Amino acid sequence: MTELIERADAPATATTVELSMQQAINRALRVLLAEDPDTLVFGEDVGALGGVFRVTDGLQKEFGDQRVFDTPLAESAIMGMAVGLAMNGWRPVPELQFDGFAYPAIDQIVNQVARMNYRTRGAAPMPITLRLPSFGGIQAPEHHGESLEALFAHTPGLKVAAPSDAGDAYTLLLQSVRSDDPVVFMEPKARYWDRKPVQLLEPTTPIGTSRVVRPGRHATLIAWGAMVHRCLQVAELAAEDGVDLEVLDLRWLKPIDAAGLAASVARTKRAVVVHEAPLTAGLGAEVAALVTESCFRDLSAPVQRVTGFDVPYPAGPLEPQYLPTIDRVLLAVQRTLEY
Amino acid sequence: MAEDNTTFTLPDLGEGLVEATVLEWQVAVGDRVERNAPLVEVETTKSAVVIPSPTEGRVVTLHAEEDEVVPVGAPLVTFAVTVSDEAPQAGIVGKVPTEEAKPARRVRLKPPTD
Repeated sequence: MTELIERADAPATATTVELSMQQAINRALRVLLAEDPDTLVFGEDVGALGGVFRVTDGLQKEFGDQRVFDTPLAESAIMGMAVGLAMNGWRPVPELQFDGFAYPAIDQIVNQVARMNYRTRGAAPMPITLRLPSFGGIQAPEHHGESLEALFAHTPGLKVAAPSDAGDAYTLLLQSVRSDDPVVFMEPKARYWDRKPVQLLEPTTPIGTSRVVRPGRHATLIAWGAMVHRCLQVAELAAEDGVDLEVLDLRWLKPIDAAGLAASVARTKRAVVVHEAPLTAGLGAEVAALVTESCFRDLSAPVQRVTGFDVPYPAGPLEPQYLPTIDRVLLAVQRTLEY
Repeated sequence: MAEDNTTFTLPDLGEGLVEATVLEWQVAVGDRVERNAPLVEVETTKSAVVIPSPTEGRVVTLHAEEDEVVPVGAPLVTFAVTVSDEAPQAGIVGKVPTEEAKPARRVRLKPPTD
């Protein structure tokens, strides 16, 4: 176990600091709580304990138990409370402790959070950011490794973000919470402990902007969350073979950066989309359709998908076989190169 | 650092077993044990099994003699466990992923000709 959370000491505006993703999100929450007295952080164990992943560590001490507080173990109540608070002018940042625990709150998220602005013709916007530790890779029990992005992206009214590293987690969280629209903010648990020099940047690009994290010319790997790191590993190995892969971090899964996808694939002419969620009706299908619509004449090969399998998320020891492996991604790249 | 006592009760070792007989203790009072180290061999109506230690700690009490029958749910061992004075740390659920310096692979690529 690694203790990586810093206490409230340095100003949150420092330019380059070494931080884990946990700490970067903690910094962002501190900035958000400080800048807007209407911002509230709540959820299971986020207060006194500081969150199961230490992401909210120290926030209750700094901002008080009226603004950072623990809730009962009832996800539908957490999201229902967020709706009521938002209707009364607050800016709620609820946490549902794990992806799989979002299911008991689906009624509130889909039927209330996502629709209230539409239903009230703009009279009751929902400036809610649901922080949802997501995806697999930490060998946790059942309900702790789900990838729900397709479900949320399919729900009109929600925006969906999935940062891949500490710097983006900081910037995208600022952007999400300041937005007056509801955002599902999917934090990749497997990257929480990844520690590196980070620039804590204010958002400069609009919501829905992707990022090329590694430029390349032979094919584009498209990913989000923890799979961006997997794709960077693959790109390094491919470089040893003389294959130059671009890695595009989608960052926003709703809205998807169709123009960014098109610009990358128009150059590389090949695309492989990688995600942890099961294949069928996963977001990879949406990405493949967007790329095909915009780059049909440029493509040298059909868009490949490397995903989890169409099975319930497996128990810990089987995780490495379920998640897209380096070899499965390399094989997909080879298929596009040989097509 | 402080110590806290925690008592491990006999789990259901099969589907609906109600008791087990202690065959042999593999630890003694005062021993320091690692997590998953062999703790005690017990016999149920299905088989004899070795129960691993659920925690790292110091053995304070063995709640049954050898050959004694213990009902499921009854105390088996009490450990003194070291607890940190600091707040709980990362990894309450799941494991921190390990990062290989050079990830393994089998597939090699052929560069495109275009």
